Amino acid sequence: MSTPSNTVLQSPTGPVATGRVAKPNGLWGMLLFVATEATLFGTIFGTYYYLRFTNAEWPPAGVPLPSVAVPLLLAFVLAATSAPMAVLSRAAQAGELARARAALVAAMVVQAGFFAMQVNLFEDDLAKFQPQGSSYGSIYFTMLGAHQAHVAVGLLLDVWLLGKLARGLTSYRVVAAQSIAFYWHFVNLLALLVVGAQLSVRV
Amino acid sequence: MAVDVELSPPAIARIRRLERIWEEPRGVLGWLTTTDHKRIGLLYFFTTLAFFGAGGIEAMLIRTQLAVPNAKVLDPNAYDELFTLHGVTMIFFFIIPMTVGAFGNYLVPLMLGARDMAFPRLNAFSYWLFLGSGVLLYGGFAASSQAPACGWFCYAPLNTAGYSPGHGVDFYALGLIFNGISSTVAAINFIVTIFKLRAPGMSLNRLPLFNYAMLAVSFSLLFALPPLTIDLVFLELQRKLGFHFFDVAHGGDPLLWQHLFWLFGHPEVYIIVLPAFGIATSIIPTFAKRRMLAFPLVALAELLVAFIGFGVWAHHMFATGLATTTLVFFAAASMMVVVPSTIQIFAWLFTVVTGRPEFRAPLLFIGGFIVFFVIGGITGIMFAAIPFDQQTTDTYFVVAHFHFIIFGAAVFPLFGGMYYWFPKVTGRMYHERWAQASFWVTFVGTALTFFPMHIVGLLGMPRRVYTYPSGVGWDSYNLSETVGAYILTGGLLMIFANLAWSRFRGPVAGADPFHGGTLEWTTTSPPPPYNFPVIPEVTSPYPNWDPPDRERDRRRLERGQLVLDAGHETTASTVRDGLLDEILEMPSESWWPLVTAACITAIFAFLLTSHFAIAGIFALTAALAVVGWHWREPEEPEPA
Repeated sequence: MSTPSNTVLQSPTGPVATGRVAKPNGLWGMLLFVATEATLFGTIFGTYYYLRFTNAEWPPAGVPLPSVAVPLLLAFVLAATSAPMAVLSRAAQAGELARARAALVAAMVVQAGFFAMQVNLFEDDLAKFQPQGSSYGSIYFTMLGAHQAHVAVGLLLDVWLLGKLARGLTSYRVVAAQSIAFYWHFVNLLALLVVGAQLSVRV
Repeated sequence: MAVDVELSPPAIARIRRLERIWEEPRGVLGWLTTTDHKRIGLLYFFTTLAFFGAGGIEAMLIRTQLAVPNAKVLDPNAYDELFTLHGVTMIFFFIIPMTVGAFGNYLVPLMLGARDMAFPRLNAFSYWLFLGSGVLLYGGFAASSQAPACGWFCYAPLNTAGYSPGHGVDFYALGLIFNGISSTVAAINFIVTIFKLRAPGMSLNRLPLFNYAMLAVSFSLLFALPPLTIDLVFLELQRKLGFHFFDVAHGGDPLLWQHLFWLFGHPEVYIIVLPAFGIATSIIPTFAKRRMLAFPLVALAELLVAFIGFGVWAHHMFATGLATTTLVFFAAASMMVVVPSTIQIFAWLFTVVTGRPEFRAPLLFIGGFIVFFVIGGITGIMFAAIPFDQQTTDTYFVVAHFHFIIFGAAVFPLFGGMYYWFPKVTGRMYHERWAQASFWVTFVGTALTFFPMHIVGLLGMPRRVYTYPSGVGWDSYNLSETVGAYILTGGLLMIFANLAWSRFRGPVAGADPFHGGTLEWTTTSPPPPYNFPVIPEVTSPYPNWDPPDRERDRRRLERGQLVLDAGHETTASTVRDGLLDEILEMPSESWWPLVTAACITAIFAFLLTSHFAIAGIFALTAALAVVGWHWREPEEPEPA
């Protein structure tokens, strides 16, 4: 009868916390949020291929094939920020505030750079073809835009977390760091999937 | 815990402290800022009841128009708007928020032995979002006199700007995207609550079956809503910005709309009906006076129904010209739904048969539910046969089938549940004889309304037509359907009159009038804001039928163990075994959920009128509101 529940219930001095075994509620919330977001993107990817296989010409005549080098490089650079985000999560759990902040700032710089470059590429693409031109353009820009919106939200979360970490580390902020790191792992994986889907027309 | 047992002064002092800690402001202010899951449940209840009234009036107008051939009560466009609003309202603004929002919110933490939901402010937020989406839909309709007229499934290309000009479809699309955010938020909250906030000892195999149903519903919502949201976003991008998803001329495909819609729409059917299963599995053991038979099988069947629900969507599209191999796959998958459904039906029936059933009003409604569910299920299997479906598609046979399921099967248990938990929520007893009479009136009304639809359907009467010619043999069936609808309305009025009268005049019910099995019956009626004076420890799925455990709870209250009277606290347990894991400091009442939801309502209102810049400004305000929401952490002390 040495389960935590019994120890606590039988302890004569009242409930004693026995140390957390399960993942914190906040992280659970983020895992489930990411699950529903992943379904959302799954639907967008599904639509991309549905439209591709209902159209004889993909992309349609007059629309250039997507460029390879820069988007692919950018996606891998963004994916690399999963490393500092993982450091942030570990450092926060270990109570190492300075390391957590440094990792967050390092990741943020790259993420912000990625976002700026992406907005630029988006505008370049818009100069070549429009979402109003064809279903290819519609799903192409919708997919990119949905991903960029997630990057933008991630940046806002970073700024917020940095503000919180400026005033020290609490158990609440540790859960926030874990959750935001997990969110970024998801967005980073999406970057690879988005660029993979869009470049799949070239193979 | 037996409440009438005398408590020692220290125990009473502990309860007083809990009362002070969990007290919320009185009056309207308290309701606007509340994070109490029971108050949020009641807010959901009364709001959805208002929508039920609206959806009901729409239905009665439709039936009045169809009472006799060539009637002129409604013109064709008004008729189209009414059947669209009726479907959208009943599904998105009545059944889902009534089951998940009202019943789920009120009961899930009580059945788990928790003091609140895992994310209390998020819970309030999902209510205010839901209210905002309803105001957007009906407010937009009232302000512009334009309503969607494309059916609740709103097929392409009818839903595109060329065929549906005006704002009607935009109200529909944006209202449902908005409503979906609210449901997603609620689903996440329920899953975390059920996995993490169970009372110590409540391992997953001791989780009450109602909560299994809510778990299955929440997972279905989580994975079913994104396809709908994306579908609606595509629609709005096409309508407002000229994108091409559904028009063939520019490489789109109208069938894409249907695939995404039904990828959501079929799981949706189980989202609607699963809470009814959960209510049935709560009411049956209480009145049969025995535990549910085949408990683990029923739990698995509830989850399995939700899972299979994701693989059957194309059976709504048998008449669209998909490849035969595709159709056969979906027909086979649809047949599979029979297995978990039948497991549950036999488990319910044999629990009643092998128990000592007492047919009070709640159990009568469950009986009605089983009858209607079997009839609706049998016609459902018929649709899985592809040639039969192609023959009857778009006829009243389909209308008959799905009303037996989503009214007979999904809503009857809600009425049973309203009676069953009425004494818990109000502390007073409903009038039993009136309740039983209301069941029979409702039952007869429902059968008379929807059963003849099978026959006119087989006789070839198409659905979604505003009138029909005389002399083709449909008149008497249609008249009886309309008469039935008025009888049904009478039955519903009897139910609500009974509840309203009993709220003020009913005899005091006490904590446990039915001797129910689950934890909500161990606390006072109505439950105090902190739910339980001491966090219960559980050794079976029917803790109220374990008197020694409840006696141990009482002794722990005397000793002050797990009373948690030091703060606004509840316990968290390990996910599988339900071992006590940590004490959580819970957030208390706040304005931020309401403020944030108001900002988001403004975003949608301005998107609707194509003021994109102003919508952007409100998006920024919403982000700031979220920052304000998270400014003070739960561990930080309240400002003096």
